[in-house]
Amino acid sequence: SGVWNFGSLLGLCLITQILTGVFLGMDYTSDISTGFSSVTHIWRDVNYGWLIRNLHGNGASFFFICIYMDIGRGLYYGSYLYKETWNIGVVLLLLVMMTAFVGYVVPWGQMSFWGGTVITNLLSGVPYMGNTLVQWIWGGFSVDNGTLTRFFGFHFLLAFVIGGGTVVHLLFLHETGSNNPGGVNSDGDKISFHPYFSYKDLLGFVIMLLGLTSLGVFSPNLVGDPENFTPGNPLVTPPHIQPEWYFLFGYGILRSIPNKVGGVLGLLFSILVLMVVAILHTSKQRGLTFRPVTQFLFWTLVGDMIILTWIGGMPVEHPYIIIGQIGSVLYFGLFLVLVPLGGWVEN
Amino acid sequence: MASRAPAATGRLLVGFRKWYYNACGFNKFGLMRDDTIMEDSDVKEAIRRLPEPVYNDRMFRIKRALDLSMKQQVLPKDQWTKFEEDFPYLEPYLEEVIREKKEKEEWAKK
Repeated sequence: SGVWNFGSLLGLCLITQILTGVFLGMDYTSDISTGFSSVTHIWRDVNYGWLIRNLHGNGASFFFICIYMDIGRGLYYGSYLYKETWNIGVVLLLLVMMTAFVGYVVPWGQMSFWGGTVITNLLSGVPYMGNTLVQWIWGGFSVDNGTLTRFFGFHFLLAFVIGGGTVVHLLFLHETGSNNPGGVNSDGDKISFHPYFSYKDLLGFVIMLLGLTSLGVFSPNLVGDPENFTPGNPLVTPPHIQPEWYFLFGYGILRSIPNKVGGVLGLLFSILVLMVVAILHTSKQRGLTFRPVTQFLFWTLVGDMIILTWIGGMPVEHPYIIIGQIGSVLYFGLFLVLVPLGGWVEN
Repeated sequence: MASRAPAATGRLLVGFRKWYYNACGFNKFGLMRDDTIMEDSDVKEAIRRLPEPVYNDRMFRIKRALDLSMKQQVLPKDQWTKFEEDFPYLEPYLEEVIREKKEKEEWAKK
């Protein structure tokens, strides 16, 4: 079905980001005195620089839409039972998140600076060497020029690491072949890639590129933060520091735990929990297509993630605190307890 | 009266099972319950041991279901697998495979 398009769409997203990123890199300077103004220069003076920047910034949002849909497909249809492919996929998710994080620091706006400060400070929770680790990452005693130059380098490098990871991901997938909505063995019913899947993927590409271009041209700041139109200033703290929308659910979980190390572990395990899903599979059927009870739990998880995303963007006050805490408990409860229980009951 | 209560509960349970069977939806694709069991190594061995006519019927049902799924369609209602007609054709072979595996493991421990 259409949800199997997101794999190829992720490949297209990666190529789009690399192409637009390379062109942005030709005019960007990774120095705190010129970084912000070089982005302004790209926007105003470079031919179609505004479009390339729009596509790159909104392309990141589409990257995360596609990756979350790909993971959702994997969870719903039991594709995680291809364990090697799935675990490399989780590693790719972590790499994409790291790339997006360091990439957001690059424009050196207020949210770039302060978002970078908040998240890098979380590493101080590591026992014994926390503070040393943070200063090592920063390249100094605060987020400063040393941080910007290396983050730009990481951002450029990680894109190609993701490319390499993608090749390994596909190598493992091609050992088994794709799953299907019925979760049945399809070895006896194969069709050629061309023309069936080439045209199917092409249709997906057209729809996604249409969406990306429309967003970039008609409403480029729809999902952005207005604070990033102000140059980064270590002396002025924005009233509401928050990451881009695709990190808000993790941010909500992080802030729900009233302990620094606990919050960091909650954030980390909110992604790493995906690696234990295959071990906790209890049902005799592969996917949820024919399992109404677990289907309800899956959509509860989707709703919970939407609520956590909303909470991540709200200030830390009543009633958002308690909602976030219930949402976080439900998130882990669904993965670790409720869905395995549902599978066992439906057996 | 006490002898009627278990019969009523039994009818309720069968009614629930029938409702759940239809709610699952695999019957709309002409599949049986045992067609949807995930193929781990034990199930693969059990499938290998199926008599040829049973195996061929299974493959036909699965191929038909894959084709229907690809076209986003289901069978006409009169062709849906009925709760009363569904039988666990794979279960005896699967139980045999699992029993043999356990026996081998016990033997290996000695």
